[in-house]
Amino acid sequence: MAKHLISLTVNGVREYVEVPSNMTLLTLLRERLGLTGTKDGCSAGECGACTVLMNFEPVNACLTLAVEAEDAVILTVEGLLQDDRLDPVQKAIIDHGATQCGFCTPGILLSARALLDRNPSPNEWEIKDALRGNLCRCTGYLRIIRAIQEAASGGSDDRTS
Amino acid sequence: MILPLPELPSFDYVCPKSYQQVSEMLLQPSVDARLFMGGTDVFVQMRDRTVASKVLVDVKHLPGMASIEYDHNVGLRLGAAVNLNRVAKHPEIIEYLPLLAEAANSVASYQLRNRATIGGNLCNASPAADTAPAILILEADLIVVGLNGERVIPANDFFLAPGETALERGELLKRIEIPAPPEGWKGKYLKLGRNAEGDLAIAGVAVLGFPDHTAESGYKFRIALSSVAPTPIRAFEAEEILCRGPINGERIEAAAIAAQDACQPIDDVRASGNYRKAMVKVLTRRGLGEVWAAVQ
Amino acid sequence: MTEPHKVPSPIGEKVTRVDALDKITGDAIFADDLKFGSDLLYGRVVRSPHPHALIKRIDTDKARALPGVKAVVTGEDTKNRIGLYLKDRYTFCRDRVRYVGDPVAGVIATSVEIAEAGCMLIEIEYQVLEPVLDPLQGIRDDAPLIHPDLEEYPVADFIFPQSGTNISNHFKVRKGDVESVWSDCKVIIERSFHIPHIQHAPIEPHVAIAQVDHTGRITLWGSSQSPFAQRNLIAESLGKSQRDVRVISPYVGGGFGSKAGVSMEALAVVMAQAVPGHPVKLRLTREEEFFCAFVRQGLVAKIKVGAATDGKLLAMKTEYYWDAGAYTEYGVNITRAAGYSSTGPYEIPNVWCDSYCVYTNHPVGGPMRGFGMPEIHWGIEQVMDLVAEELQMDKVEFRLRNCLRAGSITATGSEMHPIGLTECLTKSAQAIQWGTEEPASAPHKRRGKGIAIMWKAPAMPPNAGSSAWVRFNEDATIALSIGGQELGQGSHTVAVQMAAATLGVPMEWIHISGPVDTEYSPYEWQTVASRLTWSMGNAIVAAANDAREQILDLVAEQWDEDPHNLDIKDGQVISYRSEQALPLRNLVVYGLPKPDGSGWRGGPIIGHGNFMPTYVTSLDAETGQGERAVVHFTTGCQAVDLEVDTETGQITLLRVASAFDVGKAINPDQVRAQMEGGVVQGASTTILEHLQFEDGVPINPSFVDYRIASTVDTPEEIIPIIVEVPQDDGPWGARGIGEHSMVPTAPAIANAVANAVGLRILDLPLTAEKVFFALQQTGGAT
Repeated sequence: MAKHLISLTVNGVREYVEVPSNMTLLTLLRERLGLTGTKDGCSAGECGACTVLMNFEPVNACLTLAVEAEDAVILTVEGLLQDDRLDPVQKAIIDHGATQCGFCTPGILLSARALLDRNPSPNEWEIKDALRGNLCRCTGYLRIIRAIQEAASGGSDDRTS
Repeated sequence: MILPLPELPSFDYVCPKSYQQVSEMLLQPSVDARLFMGGTDVFVQMRDRTVASKVLVDVKHLPGMASIEYDHNVGLRLGAAVNLNRVAKHPEIIEYLPLLAEAANSVASYQLRNRATIGGNLCNASPAADTAPAILILEADLIVVGLNGERVIPANDFFLAPGETALERGELLKRIEIPAPPEGWKGKYLKLGRNAEGDLAIAGVAVLGFPDHTAESGYKFRIALSSVAPTPIRAFEAEEILCRGPINGERIEAAAIAAQDACQPIDDVRASGNYRKAMVKVLTRRGLGEVWAAVQ
Repeated sequence: MTEPHKVPSPIGEKVTRVDALDKITGDAIFADDLKFGSDLLYGRVVRSPHPHALIKRIDTDKARALPGVKAVVTGEDTKNRIGLYLKDRYTFCRDRVRYVGDPVAGVIATSVEIAEAGCMLIEIEYQVLEPVLDPLQGIRDDAPLIHPDLEEYPVADFIFPQSGTNISNHFKVRKGDVESVWSDCKVIIERSFHIPHIQHAPIEPHVAIAQVDHTGRITLWGSSQSPFAQRNLIAESLGKSQRDVRVISPYVGGGFGSKAGVSMEALAVVMAQAVPGHPVKLRLTREEEFFCAFVRQGLVAKIKVGAATDGKLLAMKTEYYWDAGAYTEYGVNITRAAGYSSTGPYEIPNVWCDSYCVYTNHPVGGPMRGFGMPEIHWGIEQVMDLVAEELQMDKVEFRLRNCLRAGSITATGSEMHPIGLTECLTKSAQAIQWGTEEPASAPHKRRGKGIAIMWKAPAMPPNAGSSAWVRFNEDATIALSIGGQELGQGSHTVAVQMAAATLGVPMEWIHISGPVDTEYSPYEWQTVASRLTWSMGNAIVAAANDAREQILDLVAEQWDEDPHNLDIKDGQVISYRSEQALPLRNLVVYGLPKPDGSGWRGGPIIGHGNFMPTYVTSLDAETGQGERAVVHFTTGCQAVDLEVDTETGQITLLRVASAFDVGKAINPDQVRAQMEGGVVQGASTTILEHLQFEDGVPINPSFVDYRIASTVDTPEEIIPIIVEVPQDDGPWGARGIGEHSMVPTAPAIANAVANAVGLRILDLPLTAEKVFFALQQTGGAT
């Protein structure tokens, strides 16, 4: 099988790796780069637990080849924390008790982060629409929606204090 | 039963720089090569073992594959590798072809649409493809390219059977050309799934209507259906009914029944054929009602 | 005088989850995140393609010869059966396969791809047998026997298998004399209900890594609700001491019962035994997850109930035929729990129940949130609505008239403890303006309201125990050791709250000593049955009190005072009498120097405690009667306000009020979170979910075609209501809530649909298609 030497930026760090053709971005992150925050829930693009930002847009890492991430800028959940300060969506999820088992949470955080970056004041429907590809079995979603609404209104910014 | 593979099987990823190279690769008899763009169908199929190609050819980056151009006179020229979110969010598509944006946005999830492409949605040729009804009623032309150069396949001739298109071996879809619809047109895509949004369509109906003095009713309509036949289809008889006389509740109902009669849906895990038929009628009626109200 | 209550007791407060930071930073480790070295091997499993067959021949030679394959295991490598309440299962099938997916062989290799390729090279010859695909077929005399050796299986003494049949448990209730009172009933309602298999669908699939060293000692890492039960069952099945099996489980990414007991973990252990020294990792793909671990049992329920003119229930007769699947080692207890709960939360003087656990050639039925309660309440609460309708009584009134209260006699002849069920009922009804008809949002929609009440006891052996340790660090921060697992339900947080409140220290001083590791953690029966807050909570309080007593005794001696005048507040020992204060740090490890210089007193403080209920009595095998059938019941109610689109059959949930009597909400926000999550999972299982089969083969095992609720499927509003009628032996009066919040959702929705469109659907799920055709048949569709 062909191998490819790729370089990509992950959470601000430039990485150089050799990957086989069939390695997914998810496997690259979890097993090669040790970033286990991104989860594998279905390997089929249905559950969203593997959501990362690739060039600032959410993608299912399980359906993206590592070789396709050549020269890409990747953000995973580990990259949300900056200088020991939580991203507003992280703080809001905590404040609203919107994480339970935590398995869907990294994917949710990244979908939410990307939503607020492109739409700083989403309404309830827009939030639900943007997150319909992130399945959660524990929370019932309503707290997640409320948390994102709060993060949007700037109410939970750990960094502004 | 054979379960899906836990991981993607082995293959070689290649990223040729020219259309010629792609066609040559696809035509090589000794190589099992297959092209892909977003991968959201192909990778799932590889895990499912229904695709076992040894070479995956990435064609996303070929010249023109990812471009979007709109011109009021010509219409929309959409590269096959444009992802569905770009289709859904492009300001000119939203303004001038909102039906297409609506259809693209109805697919799966935001993260999936960042990878899934309009070309992939059409070439995968699932009977349930959400962008297909819009392409059909906008009477698009599909520009495909092979070793012999480009050729045009009208949308209505593109879908042959579930998973089968008019693409010949060695050809790939390069762009979709959508002419500017007739003046004063309005359109809508309605979809019914199991979840409130984001599911595969149990039934999908696209409706387009525009003033046309050559029709007795003064209006012409186009109706296309997905997920209710071996391929996405136009409901020509229903469209005919709407030409013949004044548009009112009765005529809309008759058209909805004709649309229902046009489909031959199967029973599957998602729904029965009978339910699909019934929903075609409901969605057609609703779509026609909305479009009729908007187009007057 | 030091201010006594400087830090508010965290009991009843909204406090941040202690695991939240781990989970939102990506630091939280789940089993698949554990890192092993280059000696890690990977396992894949060959599974039966037939629902029922004999294994005639297995040829593994080609697989063994494949480069990269290190070993292949089959049923030859599993000698003993395994099981929780009934040992009816070989880890790898020995002579017979009993469901599509039953493990037949395992390949261990240097990569997943090679292991999978090895699996494809294993040749198996089956002799296909007639399958049993329906419990009503399974109980017939001429049905194929799925477990011909049933009578040889070791079984718990409260489970009653019927040898020579497919019935692995027959639980009976015979209270009063139902047949004699039918003639006294003004109204008799009789209905049959069908409930299909569904699956838990936790977002984290099952994963297990096992390693066996060269002396045969086993270490098992996994995503597990039951580390100690896994250790016990696996050790038993291998003829080993529990000392030689170690189970470690970090955070669980959703359990709902799917990760209780032993399912796929035993496969990893057997595979690891074939390659001593190497850890072997086994993961279920999502597709395997749907049917190769546990599913929820299916059920055919026949219910007959009668009420007198005054609206009082007189008699109830139920037959439950559980579609329990190929192995019922766990499911037999669901049959039992359903039996003793078969009346629902009502006082009925004459009760007859036959609850049959029936083997079928379907996936293995196991514990799923509610443990039989959602299934039986589906039928019970619809039947009660029908009785009320016939009596022309308001459905809330009817329930108030008949539901259990303190002192009521239950189906097993036991006395009900104080409960807040009537408060749950009236408050939920009020929350959706019960009795007020409200308009639908469009001409083709119909609006309706429905209500359902429920009860559930923790279904477990009478002697399921918990234990806990409290250990201090030098700075008086505290390692709280527990055996209960954090599945998302919030158990770690309430554990810390309870320890902090008992000890008198700030919550921030306490950390959970984890992950649970049977080598180092105190014993906990299982994280199931909504039992941790109550049972583990009692153990934690006992352990904290033990530590507290040692500290107070030590300081009292130091101060020459009576320890009863001392207390610990905000991390300091204080005396109410002398008004002295002494911080906990240092003394909890180093003790205290005697003031006269003659030495030291004290030493490292360790508090230990346990809790095990001692008062559960057995139930008579013929009548199901006993003085105390269960430890306690949690009761509650859900009221649903919804709309039905009569053109499509789609249901839109407007408001769901969810009220439960939790005794004491240790963490009210987490209780509300459980209520919200339960409503959505309940609604999802009611409207969207069913495992579909064709001749015993699952045909929708993936998220593509087994749909679960996403953000766009939630009710517009969920109104959680906490009711608190204390449990006499619960910490601060607390009892469980984790499962209960999804129990009444399905019947509440069905009752609301009936109210909206005037028809009742007796089979789950209430898909749009099913509702549509039901409306068509009655002429209600447009």
